[in-house]
Amino acid sequence: MAPWLATGLIYASALALTAGGITLLYMSTRTFNFAHASMATLGFYVVYSGAVLGGGVPYKYFPLAFLVGGVLGVICYYGLNRPLLRRGAVEITLMMSTLGYDLILLSVIQMYCDYLTFSRKLFPRRVSMNVFDFELFGVNAASVILPLVAIVFLTGLHLFLVKTKFGVAMRATIENPVLAGASGINSDRVYMSAWIIGGGMAALGGAAMSMAVTGTPVLGMNSIPFMFAGAILGGLHSLYGGILGGFVVGLTEYAGVFYLSQKFGPWVLGYRMGVPLLLMAATLLIFPRGLAGIPWAVLFGNLAGIAGKKRGAKA
Amino acid sequence: MITEQSRNSKNILGLFLKGEVITTVAILVVLTYFLVSRGLPMVLTIIIDFAVFAIVTMSLNLETGFTGIPQFGRVLAVIAGAFAVGAIPGRIMAASMGLPWGLKYAKDSIHYQISPELTQVLANSWVFSLLFLIFCVTIAAASGAGIGWLTSRPAIRLKEAYLGISLLAFGDFFMWVGHNWEPLVGGSTAVYVPDPFRIFGGGRFQAVVIVIFLVAMLVYAYLNRLTSSPFGRSLKMIRDNEVSAAAAGKDITRIRTQSLVIGSMLAGVAGGLYVIYTGTVTAMGYSRLVWTFWPWAFMMLGGIGSTTGVLLGVMVLTIMRTMITVYRFQLFGFLMAWGINPLWLEYTLMGAVIIGVILFLPHGLVPEKVQPMLPAGRVKKLFSGGMAAKPR
Amino acid sequence: MLTINKLNAGYGKLQVLYDLSIEVPEKGITVVVGPNGAGKTTLLCSIMGIANVTSGEILFEGGSLQNLPTHLLAKKGISYVPQMKNVFADLSVRDNLQMAGYLLPFDEAKKKAEQMTEMFPVLKKFIDRKAVTLSGGERRMLAVAMGLMKNPKLMLLDELSTDLAPIIAEKVIMEVARLRDELGITILLVEQMAKRALEIGDTAYLLVSGGVKFAGKSLELLNEPELCNMYLGIKQPAAAQTLTEGGA
Repeated sequence: MAPWLATGLIYASALALTAGGITLLYMSTRTFNFAHASMATLGFYVVYSGAVLGGGVPYKYFPLAFLVGGVLGVICYYGLNRPLLRRGAVEITLMMSTLGYDLILLSVIQMYCDYLTFSRKLFPRRVSMNVFDFELFGVNAASVILPLVAIVFLTGLHLFLVKTKFGVAMRATIENPVLAGASGINSDRVYMSAWIIGGGMAALGGAAMSMAVTGTPVLGMNSIPFMFAGAILGGLHSLYGGILGGFVVGLTEYAGVFYLSQKFGPWVLGYRMGVPLLLMAATLLIFPRGLAGIPWAVLFGNLAGIAGKKRGAKA
Repeated sequence: MITEQSRNSKNILGLFLKGEVITTVAILVVLTYFLVSRGLPMVLTIIIDFAVFAIVTMSLNLETGFTGIPQFGRVLAVIAGAFAVGAIPGRIMAASMGLPWGLKYAKDSIHYQISPELTQVLANSWVFSLLFLIFCVTIAAASGAGIGWLTSRPAIRLKEAYLGISLLAFGDFFMWVGHNWEPLVGGSTAVYVPDPFRIFGGGRFQAVVIVIFLVAMLVYAYLNRLTSSPFGRSLKMIRDNEVSAAAAGKDITRIRTQSLVIGSMLAGVAGGLYVIYTGTVTAMGYSRLVWTFWPWAFMMLGGIGSTTGVLLGVMVLTIMRTMITVYRFQLFGFLMAWGINPLWLEYTLMGAVIIGVILFLPHGLVPEKVQPMLPAGRVKKLFSGGMAAKPR
Repeated sequence: MLTINKLNAGYGKLQVLYDLSIEVPEKGITVVVGPNGAGKTTLLCSIMGIANVTSGEILFEGGSLQNLPTHLLAKKGISYVPQMKNVFADLSVRDNLQMAGYLLPFDEAKKKAEQMTEMFPVLKKFIDRKAVTLSGGERRMLAVAMGLMKNPKLMLLDELSTDLAPIIAEKVIMEVARLRDELGITILLVEQMAKRALEIGDTAYLLVSGGVKFAGKSLELLNEPELCNMYLGIKQPAAAQTLTEGGA
């Protein structure tokens, strides 16, 4: 496997996880989660701390990272999101509230880095996680394990949403909170679960991303435009769309930049960020509401009923 | 009638207790205290931070508070102004003096030789300095307005979150372009800008502070006029209900574009002035955090849709940030035991302010005043005079 | 069974219902009719805790329903079939039924779902199809089946006949009568198709601009030509109506 493809796959899997988390949170609570940035960074630092302080392969700390992300999500839900949702806050307010949360988490991360530097004599501000990796089938283990982790996790999530009663209830609540409530589904519990899963996906994605790029305290902060780009490309109305969007953004970024740098020279690498942005801009300019804004129902005429139904008034 | 009167008196009381008055008094007290205990330079630093961010935040408020555009790419226009001032005026001077000015201008080895020469020219002539300053502001405003017009193209088509995220992403992208494309503003190294204030010699700092503060006040006056004009009412109308605004015959596309262009122009001016004040441009200094998110925090604290409120919000938070810097060892020295730099508390403060404002003070320090389209007296007259058609 | 006293409710700052009092007796169909914007749907939303209730009381079997989150109402045996968006479009018919029986134990839910598919054979045919692919009438059947899944004591039905072809609409309303007669469920029916609904109903309320204009037996309301004409668009008294229908 070519190195750029190996790294690209890790990176794309990481973005798929984070973009999926963003989409899930947006679908369930209308919240564009800025705190995804710091949740991802914290996921990375959990794995880093584990590998440095506890020893062993970094992968065994991934579940812990997921857990930490989940806890951060629950805190965000009960402390911020729930009171605001009850108040009927608009999207921008919900978005800004998570920005505040993100800044607080960012300061915690920075302080933690100071602590690691001072008390543990470590260098947590520029971390190459590759040193903890081992070789598998002649390539970095990460490029085999992490895409697998992503696939297993996302398959598990899919089965959870389709096969379990609570998973179906989550989908039901996301689609129609009023009817779900009238059916006896506690929407509070559904939203909390969404935050656990979404936060966990952010942390897991951040941990995975650090295996592909240099880990820094602003790892999440710098990559959140890509996470958002993935989610927007996916259209924000389907979890699978978000996951796919994240994967596409990650892979085009790596593959596209690799191809262009072969053609025009290495200076292209500095403008890595442009590739997914152009992709997002192109999608948005043609379909202002993302891929979900494409009138699929019209394209496939036999489903024309949906359009009429979705426009249904509240009465 | 009694209830009406009592409500009025309560309003006046409430204004004194909560609104701008008490905040202003508190600000003045703190500033005086700083002046006495720490001296003038400290107060001047606060004022210049305040002035620059006040312009940026007021421009953000015009677009977000008055027009309802989720401007998460404020840094974009600031960058446009800053890079323009960093890249263009110095080059023009260098070219006219026969110095290297092309792509190589911003290369550090050459740049460090020629920039003192340029500053020397300005330091000898009042006319040149003044012209240079005016040119810088003009060019910053023009490039800010240009980028505003460019962003208005998607802004017409995209809705809410999609627009916000796109703007945010492009702000980041511009920063990276500046960071990577050395000929523009030196990439990862700084580019020095010829200093039009060098002519004041030792009084440079004071002069810069006064000029930028005056510009901020001018912007304040301008925005106050603008937003209370019919144009301002159109903005609010579009923000509150696009459909009814369109039904009332407002050209939504044009008005949104105008708002974006004016706002971005002002933000560009702020970016240009900031560059003149610091004397250098470093691309990485124009981060989303400082030039987009912090203005958002200022605006939310001050009160979205209230220009006066925004000024107060900027002032309060600038003072609080300075206090963290000044008193970090006295108040947060205990953190040093773990090697933690108390300066990170600035982030905590910003985050806490955003959350606190959203949860407990949703309308900010100075809530937007709902102004009737017609003065109350005139409405009464209209109704008491019967519904007979009267020309407006 | 359900008593509403002096209810004031609306959405946000907009008040829709003014001092509304309604009594839903057990084991019967209470029909609520009235012109558009009278607040019929808001009444149901207030009961379900979706609209803003500013004052008044809502009592179900003697206990107050106010300040209860919506999902607890389902536990009390109230089921609600909204006018629009009354099925989970993205879920299969099977999952829809499962969700409607969310509070039932697994076995019971399964048994109940089977009962429903027997009662509405259409659903059996499309059990694995997404609800969004069903036709309007089928979807309405599914919505009613979902309402019944919960073994409700009280069903709130909102405008079952909207969007349906007249023949199917009539069929759906007749189905409601069957629910009362065969299953003994108390029903609060809000209907646009006033005439049919009043014919099968027991008690009737005529709502006009957020207040009760008429309360009594539903047939009595049909015999008030003036009210019928002014608010319900029923031009002739019940007896004369049959003639026209015969002609058509």
